[in-house]
Amino acid sequence: MSKRPNREELRNEVSSRGLAMTVEEAEKLAGYVNRMPTPLEFHLFDTMWSEHCSYKSSKPVLKTLPTDSPGVVIGPGEDAGVVSFCHQDGREWDLVVAHESHNHPSQVLPVEGAATGVGGIVRDVYCMGARVTGSMDLLRFGDPEGGRGETTRGIVRGVVEGIWKYGNALGVPNMGGDTEFHPGYDDNCLVNVVAFGIVPHDRIVHSFVPQEAHKEPYVLILTGKPTDDTGFGGATFASADLDGEQGMGSVQVADPFLKRVLSEANRAVLDMLFEKDIKFGFKDLGAGGIACVTSELAAHGGLGIDVDLDAVPVSIKNLPPEVIACSETQERYGLAVPASVADDVLKVYNEQFELPRLFPHCRAAVIGKFNSKPVYNVICRGENAAETPINYITEGVVYQREESPVNSGAPEPLERPCDPSRDLTTILTSISGCSRKHIWSYYDSEVQGVTRLRPGEADSCVSVPVEGSRAGLAVSGDGNPWYGELDPFLGGAHAVGEAVRNVVATGATPICATDCLNFGNPEDPGAFWQFKQAVAGIADACNSLGFSGGDYPLPVVSGNVSFYNQSTGGKAIPPSPIVAVFGKIHDHRKATDLVLRKEGNPVLLIGTRKDELGGSLFYRTCLGHHGGTVPAFRGSLEKKMADWVLGVIHDRRAYSVHDISGGGLAVAGAEMALASAEFGIEFSLDSNPVTLFSETPGYLMEVDPGFVEDATLPEFVSVAGRVCRGCSVSGNGWSVDLESLRKEWLDKLASVIWREEGV
Amino acid sequence: MPCAAVIRFPGSNCEFETARVLRNSGIDARIYNWNDIDRLSDNRADAYVLPGGFSFQDRIRAGVIAARESIMDLVFEEAVNGKPILGICNGAQVLIESGLVPGWKPGSVQGALAGNLAPGRSGYLSGWTHLKPVPEAIKKCPWLSAMNGNPFPVPIAHAEGRFVFREEDMNRVRSHIGLSYCGVDGSAPHGWPENPNGSVLDIAALMNVDGNVLAMMPHPERSFHLWQVPPDMKGPWGESRRNSSLKDLEDQPGPGAIIFKGLAKYLGVE
Repeated sequence: MSKRPNREELRNEVSSRGLAMTVEEAEKLAGYVNRMPTPLEFHLFDTMWSEHCSYKSSKPVLKTLPTDSPGVVIGPGEDAGVVSFCHQDGREWDLVVAHESHNHPSQVLPVEGAATGVGGIVRDVYCMGARVTGSMDLLRFGDPEGGRGETTRGIVRGVVEGIWKYGNALGVPNMGGDTEFHPGYDDNCLVNVVAFGIVPHDRIVHSFVPQEAHKEPYVLILTGKPTDDTGFGGATFASADLDGEQGMGSVQVADPFLKRVLSEANRAVLDMLFEKDIKFGFKDLGAGGIACVTSELAAHGGLGIDVDLDAVPVSIKNLPPEVIACSETQERYGLAVPASVADDVLKVYNEQFELPRLFPHCRAAVIGKFNSKPVYNVICRGENAAETPINYITEGVVYQREESPVNSGAPEPLERPCDPSRDLTTILTSISGCSRKHIWSYYDSEVQGVTRLRPGEADSCVSVPVEGSRAGLAVSGDGNPWYGELDPFLGGAHAVGEAVRNVVATGATPICATDCLNFGNPEDPGAFWQFKQAVAGIADACNSLGFSGGDYPLPVVSGNVSFYNQSTGGKAIPPSPIVAVFGKIHDHRKATDLVLRKEGNPVLLIGTRKDELGGSLFYRTCLGHHGGTVPAFRGSLEKKMADWVLGVIHDRRAYSVHDISGGGLAVAGAEMALASAEFGIEFSLDSNPVTLFSETPGYLMEVDPGFVEDATLPEFVSVAGRVCRGCSVSGNGWSVDLESLRKEWLDKLASVIWREEGV
Repeated sequence: MPCAAVIRFPGSNCEFETARVLRNSGIDARIYNWNDIDRLSDNRADAYVLPGGFSFQDRIRAGVIAARESIMDLVFEEAVNGKPILGICNGAQVLIESGLVPGWKPGSVQGALAGNLAPGRSGYLSGWTHLKPVPEAIKKCPWLSAMNGNPFPVPIAHAEGRFVFREEDMNRVRSHIGLSYCGVDGSAPHGWPENPNGSVLDIAALMNVDGNVLAMMPHPERSFHLWQVPPDMKGPWGESRRNSSLKDLEDQPGPGAIIFKGLAKYLGVE
């Protein structure tokens, strides 16, 4: 191998290979190996040191998020977070959660990008040994009716298609999510995906070679789709500004069919290993492909590894070693097992599940041997393709980025004319306020037979994932770009707050959260300041909203950072912290939904309305104004409200519950009526924009008349109206017949987005 | 205890919940892989279920490759023996593609499940529909044998669920209808969405000549419990879902349970 290269030689290598690493990083790498790095080494380190894999800009900031709570089994660090969920028949069950973004690929190739997003996130949950019991999509698109509307509409349709084609075939129920439109996403859509599953506590699988490998020979089995050249450079692509159609070759190709068969085969293999009490390591192949999975499995177990690239099943001949090692071909897993059971494992994949028959060149194969020499050694066609001290690969890099406040404050509108009937109608038939049912109708929300509440029926979806147990799992994901734009701190705090309320409104107690932090270029001090503010907001909210007793916070157990969401023109997305919250209801039968139950029942308002309409649906859709005062985040009040709502639901005194967020009280009431068909709400409140449309956090709750007489209501609860017959909402001097509005509310989204398909 | 075999193909994805509801109906259920032919041959079941999913990725046409798997020879043989056989969703597509349903000429494909036809949309559609049984079918088909003729809600989730037949077969296909789509009150559908996919004669489930084989597009295993019924459901099932006590919500069967209850009754489960 060659001599140690100089700076100029390295600069040439970096640029001719299209690497994202800086020349300083290339020098660091050359110092590690003390010669010119091989192509494979360049690409491996380029991936490992990419923002996507190394969190090099975000790591110090992420450390400020609260992660500690009594229920946490595995916090951030592995492929997914794990928290304790329930006990059933003497067995302890844990919940496994993962959350990430697939933004860049979805902008460039929406169908494939979104499909791979689902594919990647479920792999993170599967590889903890769990059964995946649900997924969720948090989608942010540009203005479908704006200057780039046609492109945006095509992206929305493609993303929805990618999600249904992948998720439905995989057999993982879609548990909703949300969809927001904002012109700031015209050049950069966001596709954030969440997946979750359950695993018996004693069957959690780790992503490193076990200690036993120090004593007996262990091998690495690669299983799944034959390796090709797709997704080569994917992590690097995800860590750069987007420029037109570039990077198409970096988008992976997903195959849900193979994933489904592979998941069942994995399950058979893992069960076999557990039953034989054999210790093993298991990890999915994501960013950096074979190179990352082999080096990480070895390094995190304190071992080295010899990888034989000639043993890798491929679908294209004569690929260069760096492509075989670093391509991000989907639907693959790596398994570290004792050499003595390798044949048994191969038999399950290749014979029992017939991988070679189902897909050309697909099979499980032994491609590496672990050893005690701490070196990452790769052989291809008899040549050394890499030979690196292994600890350097996983050591990572960290940068302290500069920050500089961005003044995003915008004034309140000078006048606020309000005609409640007209304004409510405008909001409900706007692209922001209309029903999302058309999107959900493509998704299978009921496969696995455990779904209790589907998208749109309640504030969060609820499932009953553990057989024999009544424990219900409620999930919601939120993040308001209009708040983030005006105040990134409050954007972060309210993302947590709203997701918590959505879970609480079904009667579930929040047990953990995940986040996906979508921002512009971290090298831009303004964008980095926004990032830090949003993280501080999330941390503040999580510290206020712990439900485990004591001073414990709501723990953030997994997440992802997506920087560089900006076009080369320099236009970054609005700061977009997106948070998912997971809740548990001990008895799913008590879960509450949106459907009004009985004429005459009082409707309570929880959370006094305040004059804080900045970023609100009312300002945006009725006044054409985006600025003003974003609702304050009042952590201790938010917690008190949640505790009170949970208490009433558990006492079975609440008939229906809905949180108040986008559109305020009037929209919340209208949504309850629209969910009910035969009932509506008559409000007995002042008809001013603050009362009706302020988005001050809160809830509406239908209770029986006796409840109001029996209970002493806390100061933040008041009677706001009563349930009436007929699908309408009304107040002093105004009334909206929702039955006549229903069709437009339901069809609006399709008529705008799917217009090119003749809707 | 009578036993049912749930046969999964590569890409099936409803095998576990299907086996679970069979067990909850008093029938022992076992899942067999497509290549478990010897094991299944040695342990013949009393009934066979082909679950939903995307067998062989819907390559060529949904169900067509699975229909040609060797294990289907065994299913074919058991169908001739008169054993009850149910195909749900993708399983129904396999039964149509194997020629078992409607089965006028054994082994020959006599109908198709074509792409959904709905105004202004294409592709997959998930949602709840109402079904009602044909009175003659209740007498003939074990899967429908516990029904009283009332309409009931069951979800669908498919992209190719539209039953179509040759013009000259349209008359004789009528006597094979097991379940048809209908309005909440059992009235004939006024097109979409009551008939969610444009299926001819509003067919939701079709039988073979003897009535022991049923190809059903909707998913009864997803509406097995009362708690699975959506809270905004219209009609008596919605009323009962909204007004149920905690105990009833858990204990009461959902509308789709009647399919498996029919099998249990037929097999003599108390």
